[in-house]
Amino acid sequence: MTLSSDIVTMLAAMTEASYLFIAAAGLTLVFGAMRIINIAHGSFYMYGALILTSVVGGVAGGRFWLGLLAAPLALVGIGAGVEIGVLRRIYKRDHLVQLVATYALFLIFADIALHVWGSQPRSVNPPSPLDGSVVIGSGKFPSYDLFAIGAAVVVGAALWALLQRTALGWRIRAAAEDPEILAVSGTNVPLLSTSVFMIGAALAGFAGALAAPLESVAPGLDATIVVSAFIVAVIGGLGSVVGAALAAIIISLFDTVGVIWVPQWSSAFIYIAMIAVLALRPWGLLGVAER
Amino acid sequence: MREAFAFARLRGRGRCSAFAVALATVCVLAGCGGSSGGDATASTGGGTVNVGVASTLSGTFAALGVPGLNGIKLAINQINHSGGLLGHKLHLVTADDQIDPSTGATVTRNLILNHHVQVLFGSVSSAVALAQAQLAERYNVPLFLHMANDIGLTTTHFSKQIYEISTNTDMEPAAAALAFVKFFGKGPVRIATITPDYSFGLDTVSAFLHDLKKDGVTYTVTTQQTPQLGATSYTSNISAVLSSNPQFVFVGEYGGDLVTLTKQGIGLGLFSKAKVGGMYGWDVVKAVGRQMPAGVMAWNRGAFWAEPSTAMSAFVTAYKSAYGAYPDEWSINGYDAAEIWAEGVKKAGSFDASKIADALGGASVPTPRGSITIRACDHQAEVTEDTGIVASSVNPTYGVPLWSKTYAPPVKQIIEPCSVP
Repeated sequence: MTLSSDIVTMLAAMTEASYLFIAAAGLTLVFGAMRIINIAHGSFYMYGALILTSVVGGVAGGRFWLGLLAAPLALVGIGAGVEIGVLRRIYKRDHLVQLVATYALFLIFADIALHVWGSQPRSVNPPSPLDGSVVIGSGKFPSYDLFAIGAAVVVGAALWALLQRTALGWRIRAAAEDPEILAVSGTNVPLLSTSVFMIGAALAGFAGALAAPLESVAPGLDATIVVSAFIVAVIGGLGSVVGAALAAIIISLFDTVGVIWVPQWSSAFIYIAMIAVLALRPWGLLGVAER
Repeated sequence: MREAFAFARLRGRGRCSAFAVALATVCVLAGCGGSSGGDATASTGGGTVNVGVASTLSGTFAALGVPGLNGIKLAINQINHSGGLLGHKLHLVTADDQIDPSTGATVTRNLILNHHVQVLFGSVSSAVALAQAQLAERYNVPLFLHMANDIGLTTTHFSKQIYEISTNTDMEPAAAALAFVKFFGKGPVRIATITPDYSFGLDTVSAFLHDLKKDGVTYTVTTQQTPQLGATSYTSNISAVLSSNPQFVFVGEYGGDLVTLTKQGIGLGLFSKAKVGGMYGWDVVKAVGRQMPAGVMAWNRGAFWAEPSTAMSAFVTAYKSAYGAYPDEWSINGYDAAEIWAEGVKKAGSFDASKIADALGGASVPTPRGSITIRACDHQAEVTEDTGIVASSVNPTYGVPLWSKTYAPPVKQIIEPCSVP
């Protein structure tokens, strides 16, 4: 391999890490603040991608940016509906009940998607001027992929600012510590939970829309992404957004290195990584141990 | 300083460790193949005959299963509009196998025992089809396979009740190998492969390489990539392929996976650095759209634009009128399967499975793909694969680049002699 192909390979891994991180960040945020394992997070991702394809239609260009904005906004609404209509009623129930409820939502959303968008794969192209490639030595790399990597960096920074520099972020962190005390201090905790869930859903929707030009958008995308996002969230440490970023990069690099070195076994690499982390550090790389 | 984003544990709201999430992941891995369960509609009686379709109607592979069902549905509707079959109206009963052999067996058994279907049309997956084949044999119900195509379903294991309407896993790569010789010559050539990490992909690439050798092609394999089925990213695999500097890349992906790989490959320069071959049928080309790279070698089980017969044109018109879209290979094979069964019933003068088997063995049936003969020794349809080279310009009728050159390898050159004892 040449230096330029090494760079292209690493950038390709970072592209995969970018939308994986954004999807996993939403999942880990919701878990960190609300202790909800949301399997329907994969549905939100798929809906983000599908909404983008609907907004773009067959027209290339400006509509893409509208779709990229519309997808997370639509998911904010769907997320609010799910939190108020379903999750709020089961916060005090066992985790298994929550798991089954979100799995049921996952199945319902999948059926709705099948009826609304059909079973055929959909596709959108990157908008101009991101539809070309940049030349790196003897190789080339898609401009849109660089945009996706940049978008993940911006999302990560925005999440950091939200959690560390705003009153809402302070309340989210406080809710994770002790929601009862937060409620006594005058914070509307149910409204806060709805807000967090809306942000998580929006992140999933944005990740799906961002990844849409990179993949085929079709039924089944929900299951694929939720498994990957869970693995990233678990390895990074549930509740840790930085952990999610770190894990997304590690997983993507593992995947890339595995593909190059031992292609026949590469599919098992990320699962081996997850098992290793669960065995040595069950709370994840940057998570906090349960006491 | 403590990690900036980490959330501390939550007190007083129960314990939930990463193991619970692992449990969730396992749950999803085990059960997210589809959405709804078996959605069999009610059985009808009195002058109607139930026709069963147990296929993959949810999840990723609904993209294959639903068009297949649409093809069958169109044939059934046409038969009913022309007076039915042996004086009986046909009633379609469908069930979703969720691409899971266990679920497939359950819903198929339900179709046979509770809905009393007289015929079954099977799954996308060969693993599910194998489970269905065992039930079809046990309960003496004809099973027509229009998507699952493992050679073991018919050719190496013969059952009187099982019919394979598509090219099987030996015939398809044999056709691709002949197309390679036709379009690119006999080498020497450096070949890389990318196929899904399960039996269909692995068997297909192995047979393709074997057939190339048989056809006199000199080649070396630079790398063999086996990404997961349904992967969302192929960039690592594509980078590894490009690093190995191949002249031809054999792609064994299909459906949405092939769309994803193609889009990512375009950005990474895969199609400008090597010739690529894959199952680029209508569904994939339409999804990739105007970006579809020129010069790609394509093969497909039913390319309607490559078979401009009157029967195919009539079918395409009827399909487009019914569903507002052009048919893909799955719809065409589904339609043909239903037509072949109906012809068998007419020839037998009965819905009895054994009589249909006797009537169809060695018979030729007119279909949109031409006259199809069901080989008597193993019930493998004598069909070929459509192959071609993707054009450099957009076809004005269809709005995407289709094939500029086409070639249908002769059936005799791709079908193995009957090996059933």
